[in-house]
Amino acid sequence: MTDTALRSAPKPGTGTRARRPEAERVRSRPAQVALNVLQRAWLIVVVFAIWWIASADSTNVFIPSLESILTSLGRDLFNGVIAEGAAYSLGNLAAGLLIAVAVGIIGGLILGETKRLREIVDPVIHFFRSVPQAALVPLIIGAFGIGQGPKIYTIAFACMWPVLLNTIDGVLGVEPTIRKFSRVYRIPRGLHFRKVVLPAALPQIVAGVRVALPIGITVMVVSELFAANKGLGFYILNSSATFMVPETWAGALLVGVIGYILSLLFVVLERRILSWYFKSGAK
Amino acid sequence: MAIQAAPEDVQVATKPLLQVQGLTMSYGFGDSENKILNDLNLDVNDGEFVSIVGPSGVGKTTLLRCLSGLIQPRSGTVSVGGEVINGPHRDLAVVFQDYSRSLMPWMTTLENVAFPLQGRGVGKKERNETAEKNLAAVGLAGQGHKYPWEMSGGMQQRVAIARALAYNAKVLLMDEPFASVDAQTRFDLEDLVIDLQATLGVTIILVTHDIDEALYLADKVIVLAEKPATVVDVIETGFGDHRDQVETKADPRFADARARILHRLRDH
Amino acid sequence: MKTSTKSLDWGLTTQRLLAVAALLAIWQVIIWSGTLPSMTPGVAALASSIGASLASATFWSALAQTMTAAVSGWLIAVAVGTVLGLLIGSVRALDRSTSILIDFGRSFPVLALMPVVIMLLGATAQMETVVVALSCLWPVLVQTIYGARRMESAVVDTVRIFQIPALLRFRRVLLPSATPFIATGIRISASISILVAVGVEVLSQTPGIGRQITLAQQAQRWDSAFAYLFFAGLVGWSIASLLNFAEGRILKWNRQNND
Ligand SMILES: Nc1ncnc2c1ncn2[C@@H]1O[C@H](COP(=O)(O)OP(=O)(O)OP(=O)(O)O)[C@@H](O)[C@H]1O
Ligand SMILES: [Mg+2]
Repeated sequence: MTDTALRSAPKPGTGTRARRPEAERVRSRPAQVALNVLQRAWLIVVVFAIWWIASADSTNVFIPSLESILTSLGRDLFNGVIAEGAAYSLGNLAAGLLIAVAVGIIGGLILGETKRLREIVDPVIHFFRSVPQAALVPLIIGAFGIGQGPKIYTIAFACMWPVLLNTIDGVLGVEPTIRKFSRVYRIPRGLHFRKVVLPAALPQIVAGVRVALPIGITVMVVSELFAANKGLGFYILNSSATFMVPETWAGALLVGVIGYILSLLFVVLERRILSWYFKSGAK
Repeated sequence: MAIQAAPEDVQVATKPLLQVQGLTMSYGFGDSENKILNDLNLDVNDGEFVSIVGPSGVGKTTLLRCLSGLIQPRSGTVSVGGEVINGPHRDLAVVFQDYSRSLMPWMTTLENVAFPLQGRGVGKKERNETAEKNLAAVGLAGQGHKYPWEMSGGMQQRVAIARALAYNAKVLLMDEPFASVDAQTRFDLEDLVIDLQATLGVTIILVTHDIDEALYLADKVIVLAEKPATVVDVIETGFGDHRDQVETKADPRFADARARILHRLRDH
Repeated sequence: MKTSTKSLDWGLTTQRLLAVAALLAIWQVIIWSGTLPSMTPGVAALASSIGASLASATFWSALAQTMTAAVSGWLIAVAVGTVLGLLIGSVRALDRSTSILIDFGRSFPVLALMPVVIMLLGATAQMETVVVALSCLWPVLVQTIYGARRMESAVVDTVRIFQIPALLRFRRVLLPSATPFIATGIRISASISILVAVGVEVLSQTPGIGRQITLAQQAQRWDSAFAYLFFAGLVGWSIASLLNFAEGRILKWNRQNND
């Protein structure tokens, strides 16, 4: 058995953009910016154009034209059907994530600081983390019903593990010198946690939340697709059950877009929370 | 190696193997243009050992990258055997400053040395033999099965040299090859390079910021200074084929040349 | 960072077992206290139905079905993701052009597409494989691109100087240098493959562990539902451990190289 085989997500910075050594920032004229945007955006435009054209006169009932998908999406976006579902789903997601982050960080701080306890529960943690989160959905819904609470708890349970594991990793990665400093100056335990360990482990913790976010979205959708009377997943499920094919597509597409937007927002948030980390150029 | 004549005479006799004419190089464009090299001219004869010495940041690496064809100069030309190069060239091999990173950690030492030959389509048996031979030449006989990271810094640098030798180029370009090894290893490697050059007759251009090293190794020392860098002095060392870490460095000519270079660098 | 104590620590093992026992005891106490809905099985019921599952053909065939779909989807994703990723990561223009599309793809919860995919392909094992492959593709792709991008500049120079031809460069330089990152992608996607396979089964009633869990729950056989859940976790855990171990063996050069 390993002591801390607590593999976790890479720190921020890795997995995002790599540094280009040579002559990247040579010119920063508006033309350059425009060219950059063009270089990044053209493929998206082409993909959508091909989709639009190829599906324009589709005879397959299950493959509606992109036009009709977007039309129904637009309609349901404006008449509030989707907005209501999205508010419900995202509310659940936020609540679940919040619980996961709180429990994960507190648990991770405790486990990270106490070696023996960590070693003892290590296999248990790894087992729970390995349970396919989607398999919990039928059990939790079967036991507690289709209400809001069970959904939030499922999301929280699924999202907790990456946060927990990353927090442990972050705590273990705290500079020994910083730790010593804290001991030498007899910093009280609470203060030590809040002002020393937590900030030092924060980059790893944030990375853990970044991993948890898509898991949360997936569990959110699955729990609603399985059984619900509200939410984005319900919108998709309901459309498919009533053979409203364009709406089904629209809902799936919308969930994807929401997932993308959330991940972008998270990057912005990450930059704000960890501005000191990025500025210090730590790698 | 033993060509000790003044540059003008040499040019009449034989065409230089490597010739640099009016080389200018900058990084960046427009307002942020940073001119590094200004109108450099340089001749290196076949079999010659040339050191390029200059203070840190003067543009030595930049010059070497231009010579090796890794970057294109803004103006001017580099030619090898009369042919103007516009990219990496068959007759040029490089030993990098950052040897530990230029050796590939997923290949054994032998595979690393044989890799350039593999790139040229040499069969497995032949390239392994050549690699083994060149490893032996740098004093690493029978060590081919090891991975680079199982070796010390000095040994890794020997592997990098063996790899460049195995490529069998006419000109060997070396960028501060001994900058990150300890003093004793450094002396050993210096003597190794002198021996190799004497036995193989390869032309070597070595960049360093260490004046003693430049003098000890070379037939000709080129001093770079100023911003943008230009050639401020060319010194024929005239120590001949025999070099010895103690004797040569105690030679009065050595001290004179060192003083001359130091003055040059201080004046600029 | 990762230290491992090779010698078996008996004290630790005992304590770990005690921790598991404590957990089970707490579970049992909660059951007795009646805080959980009455159908949740106690420790004894759980243990016996775990044992019963091992002797049941239904269980083994469900496990085989889930694993087949998960593994084949995963393998497809690994093959496609690696090749595409190396290509994209090493060609700058391609990298830029695809970056938004890939960012979009990786944050897309593929399971949300289930109703659409079921419409198109039906609730079949083949559909399950497709969904697994689609989900596993992104981590492999993203990691591979990242690995190919950050090739050591000294290595890039070396390859150029010695004029290594494209195919050899791809095979002997780009691929191995990106392997540590590809391995991470492979490892991440392996756990995703199980998660998604079970998720698909839960949602579409395609045969497999996920479907068995749903069926057991609907039949009020909570003990067997929990037993299946236990095995699903066990499989995920074994795969993760196995890949961790394999990675350490195969990438032995990388350990020395960690900065
Ligand atoms: N890729 C680059 N882009 C922009 N500027 C560069 C680049 N490479 C080098 N420079 C600048 O060019 C100048 C010369 O750099 P170079 O590396 O050639 O010096 P050097 O003589 O090799 O120094 P050292 O002895 O430290 O290796 C430096 O001021 C450096 O900042
Ligand atoms: Mg340099």
